[in-house]
Amino acid sequence: MSDNRTLLTDMAAGLFADLSSKPFAEAWPQVAEAGFSTLLVPEDAGGFGGDWGDVLAVLRLAGLNALAAPLAEPVIAHWLLAGAGIAAPEGLISIAAPGQLVPYGRHAAAVVHVESGTLSLYHADACTFDEGLSPAGEPWDAVSFTAAAAATAACDVDLLALGAFARVAQASGALEAAFTLAIDHVNTRVQFGRALAKFQAVQQAMAEFSEEAAAVDASAAACAAALDYGDASFEIAAAKLRMGLAVDRAVPIAHRMHGAIGFTIEYALNHLTRRLMGWRSEFGGDAFWAERLGRRVAGLGGHGLWREMAARTDRLVG
Amino acid sequence: MQIFPLHPFRPEGDIPALRQQVRDLVASHEANWPVELRANCWFSFDEEFSKAMGRAGLLGMTWPKQYGGHERTLLERYVVLEELLAIGAPAGLHWIADRQTGPLLLRYGTESQREKYLPGMARGEVYACIGLSEPGSGSDLASVRTSAKKTNEGWRINGQKVWTSGAHKSHAALTLLRTEEGSERQAGLSQMMIDLDTPGITIRPIIDMTGSHHFNEIWFEDVLLPHDALVGEEGNGWKQVVAELALERSGPERYLSSHMLLVALIDAVGPEPDAPTAQLIGRLTAEMWTLRQMSMSTIAKLAAGEDPVVEAAIVKDLGNAYEQALPRMVQAAVDADLSGKSDLSRLLTWILVASPSFSLRGGTPEVLRGIIAKGLGLR
Ligand SMILES: Cc1cc2nc3c(=O)[nH]c(=O)nc-3n(C[C@H](O)[C@H](O)[C@H](O)COP(=O)(O)OP(=O)(O)OC[C@H]3O[C@@H](n4cnc5c(N)ncnc54)[C@H](O)[C@@H]3O)c2cc1C
Repeated sequence: MSDNRTLLTDMAAGLFADLSSKPFAEAWPQVAEAGFSTLLVPEDAGGFGGDWGDVLAVLRLAGLNALAAPLAEPVIAHWLLAGAGIAAPEGLISIAAPGQLVPYGRHAAAVVHVESGTLSLYHADACTFDEGLSPAGEPWDAVSFTAAAAATAACDVDLLALGAFARVAQASGALEAAFTLAIDHVNTRVQFGRALAKFQAVQQAMAEFSEEAAAVDASAAACAAALDYGDASFEIAAAKLRMGLAVDRAVPIAHRMHGAIGFTIEYALNHLTRRLMGWRSEFGGDAFWAERLGRRVAGLGGHGLWREMAARTDRLVG
Repeated sequence: MQIFPLHPFRPEGDIPALRQQVRDLVASHEANWPVELRANCWFSFDEEFSKAMGRAGLLGMTWPKQYGGHERTLLERYVVLEELLAIGAPAGLHWIADRQTGPLLLRYGTESQREKYLPGMARGEVYACIGLSEPGSGSDLASVRTSAKKTNEGWRINGQKVWTSGAHKSHAALTLLRTEEGSERQAGLSQMMIDLDTPGITIRPIIDMTGSHHFNEIWFEDVLLPHDALVGEEGNGWKQVVAELALERSGPERYLSSHMLLVALIDAVGPEPDAPTAQLIGRLTAEMWTLRQMSMSTIAKLAAGEDPVVEAAIVKDLGNAYEQALPRMVQAAVDADLSGKSDLSRLLTWILVASPSFSLRGGTPEVLRGIIAKGLGLR
């Protein structure tokens, strides 16, 4: 881990822990103030000059602390704008992937949209939002563009995939936090005269939980490495789908281990699990990514699948 | 605590060339392999192929040259293993010697044991099997009772091992024995390298539910072994076996046993599958891809001198669950004729029937999850 990354994660860990139960209105100004939005913008363009490994580390911490503020969205938007040579407007910039809801759209000063090879920057006054909420109560707003873009540029980035990567990264943190809550709970809650953790059925379920968290951790890190290489189309499809499976398997265990206390709005678990439930569908759900990945693999042929996977890790070494 | 920080897999050397070497070697042998032999392929035998692997310098890859090895890295060896599994090469004959018996002898064996066994293993001519399980000792391995008594002439062995894979094809069995009379559990156990042509040893086949003769029972009746059959220290057997099991549990064979069925499915549906079939292929690919990242990370940690016990158990448990679910998911989705002659039908039927074993060999899910829970501080 680079020294820069350690500094970055130390700062993010401290700040996000402070903001953990704060609403958007309190959390976002501090996230913005800390300068995370320009994480991927090169240093000579006034940014932090980070890589996708840094993005993963920070998003993981956001997920771990159930941060109620956008983070991936402005990071991706600022990176895209810098790459296109378009000056970023002040304030929150969110992203609109084709056919997707805009996270925190109603609070955004501008929205970056990429479709069919063109990036468009829309200011808020060119957007109309049909407001909605995620299962965790975060703004998920459907956008229609009602006026011309303030700027456009050619762009071959798959915005949907970047959004999907962000949710995998956040999910890796949220799963760890839910797992930690469950560990603490089963170690302290006593039934039948023993801590729950002493029961083999509980141990086995917790082991399964850990396996799912592990799978998301590993796949998120593999995606970041591929993004830093410059092409993560295969990896993100696989990782987003795997994250959906992990949510499917791990969230029920998290709640089962907690009993009724985990079902209350007071207790921290729901802030994590409701987010996980939402992220599973956001930026392409299981069926979408399964079909996209499956079609790609079918085109590779039976042995072609392995050859492609091997080549995609070998290229990281060369 | 991050449960699975990904360790980068950064092998030295020309890895694409190494993969090509394995693929070329397989291409020159595969004409004789029926599809069933290529399924669950690290349990299938082809002596010619094992010897060819030896000639190609692909066995004992990490061992010192003085014992016939090639002094290559653990990660290069890993690349060879995953290529063999992904392409469905029957590599079962040499698998155990190359994976665990050889390395154990290097670590704990005497000079004469190393000289006796390792060069032949590296040539793909000497094969080994694992003598752990007994009729009364499965998951609870510390309850083994087969005994070795020290006498002036040597060790006297009495008892029985069971489920011994490939014993009928092997030259020797690395065996866990109770060397201290009256000892209990983990204490008083030792490992011995037993030549299977020693008088008093009877190997009987056990036919498994695929109809194959793969595993065996081994009876020991007053078998006399030389004193230097002892591997490592007397009484240190448990510790050595735990190290052996770590080698056994972390490899790519724990998630790729059904891979040839995925290959056949993809080939059978062609480049433009319908949406449900595309989704099935995508789903299986996503799980397999993730397991590969996890497995590579675990071997990279091992190579870096760490001891990833929990990670290895996670990879095996998740990997076994995946390779067992694969045939069931294909069966549920594809209208396959289980008595059909196509590669897909034959592989599906074969792997469906073979798959219950995947999560038994090398430790059951309950045992693995127990290890994970302990590692997470839950017991
Ligand atoms: C194809 C195949 C090849 C094999 N090859 C070899 C070999 O080469 N050499 C060798 O030595 N062995 C070999 N084995 C044996 C293998 O290691 C054992 O099958 C395995 O360790 C389980 O032991 P068991 O079969 O006695 O089952 P048991 O230990 O009796 O277990 C039966 C069930 O009870 C569960 N169980 C047991 N104890 C507990 C517990 N404490 N808590 C919760 N659940 C528990 C198990 O998880 C399992 O579900 C092979 C097995 C197979 C299937």
